[in-house]
Amino acid sequence: MIVVGAGAAGGIVACVLTEAGKRVLLLERGRALSFKEVGRDHLRNQRISLYGHNAGPEIEGNPRVFVDHQGHATTVRPHEGGYNNNAAAVGGGTRVYGAQAWRFMEQDFRMASEYGVPEGSSLSDWPITYAEMEPYYERAEWEIGVCGDDHGNRFQAPRKKGYPMPPVPPTTTHRLLKRGAEALGWSTFTTPMLINSVPYQGRAACVQCQHCVGFACPSDAKNGSQNTVIPRALATGLCDLVTEAFCERIETDAQGHVTGVTYLVMENGATLRRTVEAQAVVSSAGAIESARLLLMSASEKHPLGLGNEHDNVGRNLQGHYYPGLHAMFDEVIYDGIGPGVSISMTQFNHGNPGVIGGGMLSDEFIKLPIIFWYRSQPGDIPRWGQTNKDWMRHAYSRTVQVMGPVQDIPHPDCRVTLDGSVRDRYGLPVVRLSGTTHQETVRTSQFMWERAKAWVEVSGAVKTWGGPPTVAGMSGGQHQAGTCRMGDDPRTSVTDKWGRVHAHDNLYVMDASLHVTNGGFNPVLTIMALAFRNAEHLAQTL
Amino acid sequence: MTFNETQLKTLRAALDRLIPPDDYPGAWDAGVGDYILRQLDGDLTSLQSAYTEGLDALNAEARALEDLPFPSLEPDAQDNLLRRLEGGVTLTAWPVPPERFVSMLIHHAAEGYYADPGNGGNREARSWEMIGFKIEEGVRYVG
Repeated sequence: MIVVGAGAAGGIVACVLTEAGKRVLLLERGRALSFKEVGRDHLRNQRISLYGHNAGPEIEGNPRVFVDHQGHATTVRPHEGGYNNNAAAVGGGTRVYGAQAWRFMEQDFRMASEYGVPEGSSLSDWPITYAEMEPYYERAEWEIGVCGDDHGNRFQAPRKKGYPMPPVPPTTTHRLLKRGAEALGWSTFTTPMLINSVPYQGRAACVQCQHCVGFACPSDAKNGSQNTVIPRALATGLCDLVTEAFCERIETDAQGHVTGVTYLVMENGATLRRTVEAQAVVSSAGAIESARLLLMSASEKHPLGLGNEHDNVGRNLQGHYYPGLHAMFDEVIYDGIGPGVSISMTQFNHGNPGVIGGGMLSDEFIKLPIIFWYRSQPGDIPRWGQTNKDWMRHAYSRTVQVMGPVQDIPHPDCRVTLDGSVRDRYGLPVVRLSGTTHQETVRTSQFMWERAKAWVEVSGAVKTWGGPPTVAGMSGGQHQAGTCRMGDDPRTSVTDKWGRVHAHDNLYVMDASLHVTNGGFNPVLTIMALAFRNAEHLAQTL
Repeated sequence: MTFNETQLKTLRAALDRLIPPDDYPGAWDAGVGDYILRQLDGDLTSLQSAYTEGLDALNAEARALEDLPFPSLEPDAQDNLLRRLEGGVTLTAWPVPPERFVSMLIHHAAEGYYADPGNGGNREARSWEMIGFKIEEGVRYVG
């Protein structure tokens, strides 16, 4: 079998299949990046990419076209705004992610039933329930490795088993915000993380450094697919991992049966094109590139692209809006204890009067000083001079940002298509991203912004800044999802409830493309759980 | 790339108004000039002429306004001139939009001052010490 993409999902799929005795070719367009290669460049990383970034893809030769919400199209490079990059590396985004480990709630799998379908949206229920996902959330938590507070989150869906590791220690900010929340009667707990809070699975514990989100972990305590399931897959002897291998096409025969893939790989300075046959193909390239791959694989029998008989591939692209604000306190609250994010609440994920869904709120990761300068200054501080320097000196250690992802209400016009003219380094059509955010997402964001504001104010903030969010165009990026949604009806979905593309018996999508909705949470644990579930089914089926 | 002596002095004077010295170094002593020179041969080669022309124009503007080159002005007068330029107010003709020139300097000064020393600025990470951004010590890196 062939798995395209060695990220959060693809690594798990390769592991589950090979441990079930299947032979897997795992193709990854990026490289295996060492800690040193990822580096600690404050101007070129996944968090702030002014002049480059640190987890791929390469800056040149991989453009996309971004159409903003006013309809202006620009060609953008991977580190530039609008590209909605995640990463291209062994481990995918998990090589450098923040690693928050959230289970979606029961309601997140039945959003249309809970809230109705707002006009213009494609809001829909998942074809599966939380109960069907629960055992696989547990697998993800134990096999990838999550630390957290089993009992703190009183709004969480039922869980059969606790976390394998205790939570990261509370920061000063945690204690401050906890007191504030208690005054409001709001429940808080320590943020669950895919991080070793204690030694686990043969690797060390977190050293609480300040370069967590956007960087590689110095003690290898941050758990991604690159240091858990991919090594397991390789250890079976049944997995061939080929890096810097770009899959350009899923091959089909005259009957539409998938026969394999064609990929491009550099060998001895030359680009070679290889076609490999397989019993089944799984696309785990991420929500944007999986959609692109299906569209690029058009054939005589499938002129619109594979799985695209009903024009669904690439639609309903979702990410997350992040309402929140900055709050300054009189006392020093920064204690330098990484990863920084430490306290969360799920009080407002659902059941909010007058809005659809909601979201989790938490404090922010430790901010690089240059990020603080660029993104955390209130508008009434001059951008230069002694006043600015004094402000940086005073504010950095006294400011916290509270924020969280809200349910992105899916919109069919928010989408991935193939651009008609721009080509990548191989001459292949690039992704064109277009669409805008649904008004209901903005309304929910404004609601959540008010909650965040109330929280920091009651906690003793002497000044807050950052207004409520407004319409700012589609959201994809590291939380990209939804472009090949699962469903029971082939007219309104791309795959069945196991990730199998409806019109094919041996073509699968397994990554966040499947998410019908993307929860009010960081989506990676759901991506992982779904990959465990669907790969297990595939291993049993074939 | 290289600046001539006047341009270099002007750059230094301007940067030290954007991030002035106090008990922590100003922009120049923190290595912001080194950062900018490195970037002008790196990611920002396309801005070489914006820099040279902008610095020349800054001096010409100072002469027109105060009859002195920019580095010879009093700090208050330098600040005043920079604020005029931010507002697009000039006496002389500018080859680059003055507000864009100043904005560029502000951003690059902050990058050179607050980013990691590996980028050529933030000498001895003094800005991190100033704001309290702590870096762990004694960690042995894996991989």
